[in-house]
Amino acid sequence: MSDQFATPVPDAATQLALDRIRQSEEAGHGSDMAGLGFNQVVVNMGPQHPSTHGVLRLVVTLDGEMVRDVIPVIGYLHRCKEKLAEKRTYFQYIPIVDRTEYVASMNCEWGYVMTVEKLAGIEPTRRAEFIRVIAAELNRIASHLVAVGTFVADLAPLGTAMVFYMFRDREIILDLLESLSGARMMFNYFRFGGVRYDLPDGWVEQCRDFLDRFPKMVDEYEALVKTNAIFLQRTMGKGVITRQDVADYAITGPNARASGVATDLRRTRPYSVYPELDFNVCLAEHGDVFDRYQVRIDEMRESAKIVRQCLDMLPRGPVQVGSLRPPYVITPPPGSAYTAQENPRGEYGTYIVADGSRYPYRLKYRDPCFINLQIFPKLLRGNKIADAVAISGSMDLVLGGIDR
Amino acid sequence: MHVFLEILRCVVAIVIAYTVVFVAALVNIVFERRVLAFMQDRHGPNRTGWHGVLQSVADAFKMMGKEDFAPARVDWAMFTLAPIMVMVPAVAIQLVLPYTLGFTPQDLNVGLIYLVAITSFTVLAILIGGWASYNKYSLVGALRAGAQMISYEIPMILGILVVAMIVGSLNLNAVVDFQADAQWIGFIAPFTFLIFYVASIAELNRGPFDLPESESELVSGYGTEYSGMRFGMFFLNEYAGLTIMSMVAVTLFFGGWRGPWNHLLMIHGIALVPIVWFLAKSYVLVFALVWIRLSLPRLQVDQLMDFAWKILIPLGLLNIAASAAIILWAPHWKIAMAIYSWAALIVFIVSFDFILRWRLDRLRTNVAVLD
Repeated sequence: MSDQFATPVPDAATQLALDRIRQSEEAGHGSDMAGLGFNQVVVNMGPQHPSTHGVLRLVVTLDGEMVRDVIPVIGYLHRCKEKLAEKRTYFQYIPIVDRTEYVASMNCEWGYVMTVEKLAGIEPTRRAEFIRVIAAELNRIASHLVAVGTFVADLAPLGTAMVFYMFRDREIILDLLESLSGARMMFNYFRFGGVRYDLPDGWVEQCRDFLDRFPKMVDEYEALVKTNAIFLQRTMGKGVITRQDVADYAITGPNARASGVATDLRRTRPYSVYPELDFNVCLAEHGDVFDRYQVRIDEMRESAKIVRQCLDMLPRGPVQVGSLRPPYVITPPPGSAYTAQENPRGEYGTYIVADGSRYPYRLKYRDPCFINLQIFPKLLRGNKIADAVAISGSMDLVLGGIDR
Repeated sequence: MHVFLEILRCVVAIVIAYTVVFVAALVNIVFERRVLAFMQDRHGPNRTGWHGVLQSVADAFKMMGKEDFAPARVDWAMFTLAPIMVMVPAVAIQLVLPYTLGFTPQDLNVGLIYLVAITSFTVLAILIGGWASYNKYSLVGALRAGAQMISYEIPMILGILVVAMIVGSLNLNAVVDFQADAQWIGFIAPFTFLIFYVASIAELNRGPFDLPESESELVSGYGTEYSGMRFGMFFLNEYAGLTIMSMVAVTLFFGGWRGPWNHLLMIHGIALVPIVWFLAKSYVLVFALVWIRLSLPRLQVDQLMDFAWKILIPLGLLNIAASAAIILWAPHWKIAMAIYSWAALIVFIVSFDFILRWRLDRLRTNVAVLD
């Protein structure tokens, strides 16, 4: 074969993987099939790969079908979201928060708005608080639908059926949120001291109608997979995160709750009106792929319950403090504030340093996906490559949040 | 003159055989896309022609119009050979299939052996294609395909053997004749059919056994580097395989071309109505294949191998022993066979699920124990 193209120079991550292979061979831990003349292979999964949702790149060292080593490479979706905050007023930055973790925009906005309110000492109106909970919980359902749908789609052609059902039902939620805020994904709905619009006419009835139908929809999803022997075989006992791992790697959200760790900021560090609401923290006890799926399914039901309570308790009154117009220019006093709120993927922290001007001095996110990614090498090592896909799907990463 | 006529006959036969493969593939692609769309609550292709029937024709023209491209560093000869070779089994199997009363292209008396020999040819083409592609995904996909297809050929042969034992002949026409008066082997020996059918799905590389091209892990498996009409050949073969394999299954287990009004329309001793029955029965099975693909997740490599070597092959062997004993010694062996086989089928389906759940429950450990 003529060498038309020289071998491309491996980049840093690939070189690291190759170095590790060489070290393992020198240490006498080569391929299991070394006697047959086989070698370990470095395979790039991503950034363009069907099973990495977004542009996560995993440099995977394969020994036959077995994953020996994983090096996650991130940064392909980096859009300087934190730096952008320093050149915009507090108000101008709200639509950009939507684009950090774009599957759960409402929740992210809430985190940012809550932090600025804490800095500036603004207290949102009570009606606005309820509307915020409704919007965030509906968005949580939509986010879990995407998470579970794409995860099952990774496992199988089966998923192609399930993911279509889930996206069909997510459409109803997006319609609701659209009539609320005017947008389907990048809502730009939260304001300092309230929300942008009050609920439109007839919205509560539409929402109730959806909530009445929603449990049946979840039953349908569960009927599709829970009785399926192959699905159980693919998910049970795979990719176990122990409680020690949860502590070591600071895993939060459904991934931690699937391991039986009751961390739910809505309960453990309550904010907004969550103390007044009645809901369960969904837990599982095996910490495997199946439990992470199950916890998300259960949380969807719980979120629907929360939305229903909020609709019942919804008080009358303004949705915005002060005048009808939101405060476009605010200048919080110098200082810093950190708030954490329960995103569909875990603890979403926002840290803002204010210097007394109209612009944030520094903004920093604590993104749950970024933290949850740290355990990947440990979790995937020693699994089959097909398991690796299932496990990474069950962790529910959103690259917009990781790279920001 | 005589030689010339012989050559002409060969050419016509080859053209017809390829036409059947291409038409079957084009029909199946649209059929599957529409059925999947229906099951997934969406529309599917419905713009090209009446209800989208011309969609795959348009796709085929698009693929033929593409550049004949081979990436750098591939083994060019092998890379080109693989897509050509992969069509061979689908075309060659047609030689022995009894299409209708009075028409079998070649009435071989070792038809069943020929069938088994020819179907094992596909794996060679896939291995060659995957190896020649110079791509890690292709290689892993091809090796998976090799392991899978070789493993599942055995249960398939074990299933076919029982049919041969029941009929007492290796001739496919004899198999069809045996099933006259609706004594379909699929009813006499449903358990055998299950083993054969599961193995044949694996032979087709279709879901839930589509590991060689599992798109979520290996991008497109052995076909990753193929594009244009080279890819088209793999694709056409996969979809033609649905019809061909279903035709084989119908011939072996569901009475072949047999149905009512067989003698209604006869031209030169060839009955026309049975062709309709043959195709109708085949497409019931094709529909089943599409349905299975939609409703089952993909297995994993080790689970796939376990299923072949630890479950299907032992069961196939036991099934042969039991069937042989029944055929030899039971007084009304057909009835005895039917009772045994239906019982085995039900016991297998119920106990398989039960045992699997029991094993999985034992496999999982509580996180509290791990700390």
